[in-house]
Amino acid sequence: MTSATQSPTIEELESLVGRQFPGGTYDLEPWRVWLTNDVIGAPQRTDGIAHPMFCYYAAMAGLGISIDEMFTLCYASADDGPMFGECDIQQLRPLEIGATYTVRGEITSAVRKQGERTGTFDIVAFQLEVVAPDGEVSSVVSNSFIFPRRP
Amino acid sequence: MSAIPTPSVGDELPCLVIEAVDAEKMKTMAALLADSNPIHWDVDTVRELGMGDQPVNQGPNNLGYVMNMLGHWAGGAERIRQIRVRFLDNVFAGDRLEAGGKVTAVGDDGSVDCDVWLARDGTRPVLAGTATLSLV
Repeated sequence: MTSATQSPTIEELESLVGRQFPGGTYDLEPWRVWLTNDVIGAPQRTDGIAHPMFCYYAAMAGLGISIDEMFTLCYASADDGPMFGECDIQQLRPLEIGATYTVRGEITSAVRKQGERTGTFDIVAFQLEVVAPDGEVSSVVSNSFIFPRRP
Repeated sequence: MSAIPTPSVGDELPCLVIEAVDAEKMKTMAALLADSNPIHWDVDTVRELGMGDQPVNQGPNNLGYVMNMLGHWAGGAERIRQIRVRFLDNVFAGDRLEAGGKVTAVGDDGSVDCDVWLARDGTRPVLAGTATLSLV
């Protein structure tokens, strides 16, 4: 665990918008699909179609940075108690087992809010595209993290 | 896969019950995701953080249960076009969960909008949101 970090200025926070992730690739390997299906209780399909949760897993794994690095980018660490905000998954076409997908994306918004009980917190949202080998976008995943900020 | 339903606004989707969330499966998922957060597999850490005495399920697992519920109903999870959720509370090993939903709109193009949720003990929501499916 790292120590809690200093809150960014509003200018630093807003400068995150538009920041692109390195991106990368994600191999939808059959063994990974089987084990994941087993964990979440999904049927083991034989038609080559992956569970839609793989839209999320592919996006996050192909982001090009770790979750800890994402927190650092957002001027935070795990010790700050970041939380998942919203998760939006569009499955434009099913992901195929055995294929390799390319992932690209960027930070789409970064806003500061004040809650009566929660105090100051920042919401950083990002969008990731999961691109099939033929170049078509198979999935768009939009997530947000909530970062509590110290006064 | 089950047959494709013919829904109407107000229809309740068949509930999917997870009788007890399995701590061992959290360990498998932590390894699959290279998730270093010990709250998913180290009870001592969970206790030290004052979060109770059971491992915390990975949030995406909870979303997966809701997708399974939709897939069972719709005749395949590939019919899910969009799902948008908020994570409202943690799920712990041993929790009994119910994933459910309700049809809120039916389009002429075969699209169906639903409210969806996951609740602990059938009452306390841990995840809630909306989903759009294509039943054509």
